[in-house]
Amino acid sequence: MEEPVDTATAILASAAVLLRERTFDDISYRALADEVGISERTIYRQYPTRAHLLAALSNWIERTCFPLPPFVTVSDFHAAVHERFRAFDASPAYAYVGARAAAISPTLDTEPAYITRAIEAMLDVAAPALNRRDRRRVAASLRYFSSAMFWARLRTGFDLDAGEICDAFDQAVGAVLARLPAATWAEPRATTPGPGRTEPLVSRPGPGRTEP
Amino acid sequence: MTGPAAVPALSGTQESILAAYTELIEELGSDDVSYRVIARRAGIAERTVFRNYPTRVDLLLATAAWIEATLFAREESRSIFDIPLAIREAMERYDARPELAHVVAETAMRGVSGASPSPGREQLERLLDAEAPALDPARRRAIVAALSHLDSVGTWVTLRREFGMDRRDIADAAAWAAEAVLDGIRHT
Repeated sequence: MEEPVDTATAILASAAVLLRERTFDDISYRALADEVGISERTIYRQYPTRAHLLAALSNWIERTCFPLPPFVTVSDFHAAVHERFRAFDASPAYAYVGARAAAISPTLDTEPAYITRAIEAMLDVAAPALNRRDRRRVAASLRYFSSAMFWARLRTGFDLDAGEICDAFDQAVGAVLARLPAATWAEPRATTPGPGRTEPLVSRPGPGRTEP
Repeated sequence: MTGPAAVPALSGTQESILAAYTELIEELGSDDVSYRVIARRAGIAERTVFRNYPTRVDLLLATAAWIEATLFAREESRSIFDIPLAIREAMERYDARPELAHVVAETAMRGVSGASPSPGREQLERLLDAEAPALDPARRRAIVAALSHLDSVGTWVTLRREFGMDRRDIADAAAWAAEAVLDGIRHT
């Protein structure tokens, strides 16, 4: 038998396999050890508490199953988040692990997620004139509405599917961006709104308003 | 959560178990607290804890609901336009009890086997209908969902973790986002 290159990763891959048939709470260290073919003690050494395991498992799932499509513009951002929400819908057990891991008290010094930095970079380009306070408000709102938590809340609490969740996301993001004066935006967005841009929650009177 | 949460009536024993566990979570974290330690803190027998809460998941969900209904409770909003104020106050309460905030946030993200992730939904719908009765269903749903999302401890957790925001910044950003969501119905 070949030694696994990396025991920590082998444990996560096996946990992901077990997640297909049971919830995270029902995956005991004992069962996990049997699945990997190592001792329970080895798992404790890698992941001293279930919170450590949950955080690491979420990172692994994120990397292998839900890679974030790159985005630079606001319309790309919408498209990237839609793709993620649809991927969550296709693997709900994995997506709930992500939502749950994002809620626990951080076990390690956690870095902000990649999507957080990507949203901040997008705003730097799209809205260079925005003051610092509003930039933080907008970044925080976009980040929170694009989270696995948003998907999980709308799926469990509102019984919505991916299409409906994408629609609620577009409306929420539209409402947030509509708060900013037009002069905030760099030229491209002001003149040619991208195809992914949808109507905000703010109603615009008159004809020509189309529902997405 | 928006108004008083629906919590099943608790016996005095149950309440003392939940209060004891809550104290211990703040002292030790939620992982390391045994039933024996909880029983000792509550001044009751360990088997009484087991009789009331047969599994750790039962105990955790009951505790999260109790924390929401007591420590994180807030005044009921009379109008949908009061919700941003309620959100601001809620964020300040979460910030004062970070360990408990994480526990409540996590139990709401467990899918159908966890706590309800949108306990304030019905109240938000009622308040929204009173102010904007003619909304089309998809917009109504989107507004309630967005407010329900913002009016939760997940907001505090995410803004703190992802942006390193402090109490004041989190309360500001969450209330600001809720005002943005409400912009759409201000003049209907």
